[in-house]
Amino acid sequence: MSKQYLTLHTVDQAHPTEIFALAPTPTTLISASGSSHILIHSTTTSPTFPLVQTLSNAHRLGCHHVTTARGLGSLGNTFVSVGFGGETKVWRRNNNPSSSETSESDKWSLYWTLPTPANKKEKGDVWAVALSADEGYLAATTSDGRIHVWDLEGKQKVQTYETGASAGGGGGGQQDGSNGVGSGSFAMAVDLSRDGKFTASGHENGGVYVFNNDAGRMVYSLSGLAKPIRAIAFSPGCKRLAAAGNAGIIAIYDMQHGEHVANLSATGSRPAWITSIDWNDTGEYLLSGSLDGKVRVWDVARGVCVATHSETESALWCVRWLPKSEKALAPGMGKGEMFAAAGANRSLTFYREATGS
Amino acid sequence: MDSPILLLCKSHFNDDALAKIETLFETILDAVSVGGPVVIPYRRSTNAQTFNATAFTSNPSDGRHIDSVRFPGRNPQELRRFEALFRIIELSHEALLSGTLITKRSQSMVDEMVDNLAFTLGVGRGDLNIVATAKGLIAGQVQLMMRGGTSINCAESSDSGVLLPSISAVEKIDFQSVKWLLVIEKEGKGYPDLATRKFLATLHFVQPRLPMFALVDFDTHGISILRTYQYGSQRLDHEERTKVPRLRWLGIRSSDVLSQTMVTQDPSANNQDSQSSQDLSSQESIAYSVDALQDERPTKRPRTRRTKSHPSDSTAPLNEGDREKAVSVLRDICTTARLDSSGREHKLELQRMLMLNVKAEIQAVDDFGDITNWLDERLLSQSR
Repeated sequence: MSKQYLTLHTVDQAHPTEIFALAPTPTTLISASGSSHILIHSTTTSPTFPLVQTLSNAHRLGCHHVTTARGLGSLGNTFVSVGFGGETKVWRRNNNPSSSETSESDKWSLYWTLPTPANKKEKGDVWAVALSADEGYLAATTSDGRIHVWDLEGKQKVQTYETGASAGGGGGGQQDGSNGVGSGSFAMAVDLSRDGKFTASGHENGGVYVFNNDAGRMVYSLSGLAKPIRAIAFSPGCKRLAAAGNAGIIAIYDMQHGEHVANLSATGSRPAWITSIDWNDTGEYLLSGSLDGKVRVWDVARGVCVATHSETESALWCVRWLPKSEKALAPGMGKGEMFAAAGANRSLTFYREATGS
Repeated sequence: MDSPILLLCKSHFNDDALAKIETLFETILDAVSVGGPVVIPYRRSTNAQTFNATAFTSNPSDGRHIDSVRFPGRNPQELRRFEALFRIIELSHEALLSGTLITKRSQSMVDEMVDNLAFTLGVGRGDLNIVATAKGLIAGQVQLMMRGGTSINCAESSDSGVLLPSISAVEKIDFQSVKWLLVIEKEGKGYPDLATRKFLATLHFVQPRLPMFALVDFDTHGISILRTYQYGSQRLDHEERTKVPRLRWLGIRSSDVLSQTMVTQDPSANNQDSQSSQDLSSQESIAYSVDALQDERPTKRPRTRRTKSHPSDSTAPLNEGDREKAVSVLRDICTTARLDSSGREHKLELQRMLMLNVKAEIQAVDDFGDITNWLDERLLSQSR
């Protein structure tokens, strides 16, 4: 059965330059671009998705990643942004749980900026980030292939996973004489499973690694795509891992045995680089965005693309499902699932499932 | 417009530099006659290419040190420096008196000394009549009439190009029917040298309406080279007429690299042929629409089928050094209070480079070594 999604609304030229990152909370969509501002649009109050807050001068050189906690019942009180200068900022707000409407006290403010290492040999750059479901931990990748895990309450680094030669076959604990600075392949993508058990990273050399957070070591080194991995995501039930990138297809891995179980690929088209993927809350569908401007919805069980949208021909940098809302955005609109896409055309485009109502 | 354009370059003799050099000599003589230490004022123009917070606070005004070189020196290094500096001053004096030019082979230590001496005296290095040899090559329908009465025909060796003479040795330039100028980053030529930059800046000064384009690699070096031609370099900021702010960036950009990655596909992928032919027809329509333009613009060659076997050979992932350098250039750009449109473009392209994690050489857009089709397309669209 084919799914139908309609373009619901486009916030034209939402940012003055290319939008590189999106992150949803239960009530808003956070977006970041090559400019220094981070914007927050409401996703539950009106079908015009009004701007509710601007975080000015958040990242002077522009911002390439923003991330929020995912999953049903996530608090939506924390998000993390990473600037091109390598700085990582943690933002929080005091959400009043009794009120679903946003008020002045719900505004976001800077909670903490991650420290840069005092040791000059240790790379301080951060690229991709992922926030745990309880908003307590942050995974952050580096250009030399490591993944640091930070405790946001204790404001300290609690784990470093190595993926370079020094990481060895199965354990992340080994370190060579170079002070543990393993030169692994650039870690372009990272995700934390919603049950908190696993961290996964995707690398420039096509490598996909899965780490067990309790044991603090690598459990799977997954092959399959051989080309740079730009997006990686655990399914909501944490049983599957999806990875995609320059190969233009999505690889699905089973987390019980670390097997490569499926590939999702569009037939009869040239495989453009995939920049972003996202699971919907039920784990049935995967959303993908690519450099040819196409947004696709995939039925994971059947392994087929069920919807393709190409509102733009310019690059898409990020696509995200929006959490299902409790009530319809407007009378007669239904409560179907929504998603958002953004990229080189600087606009935020919102889609909703055609529910027939 | 077809008649040759003759332009007289203003030749600049600098009495000011001569007077300053002679004053310097008198000071030295006075010191020697009383047997005191000889002190040559010598300010170093620091090369602050990368933004450094500590360097900024220690040199709040202009990022330069005030220094001197003494005889007898405080150590053997200073003695050698004094000798070299004194010899440079002497050579410059002779050259200024005789009205000749000294061509100096590029040698970084002496080069820096000449630059710093010029900076200390508040003149350009050309004013000292010591000119560096350019590494740049020129080719095209241009004739350079030199001060000595000789002339250089740049059309003669169009394959390898003619080594650029110092612009101060050029009296006249015959532009003939030149309609545009293209600056190309060539492997092994390194960073834009002062002589090449001065040559371009002077050309731009005497022919401000002559469109100038730059073709550089899509990497941090390419963008740095472009920016040095456009905005100059911090170390040689005291030199006059070294900038070509209106130099237009022809490529290559992220979009060129991306369109190449779109062509890249697995051999197993199907309907390759139908896709390619579709692309050709769409490109053909672009070609027709530009054919109707005025004849002032570069003429369109008949398009040949673009068949790229391995475009990925010319593209490569960024390494850690590339990423650091990209951030550093980005930081320089963002330090500028008000970005002009080309600054904004450089910023965006560097951000895209970091996002894509890809760099590419100019060869990424050519067609088995033939870049003329791509150049025609770009020159036409830019001339609009």
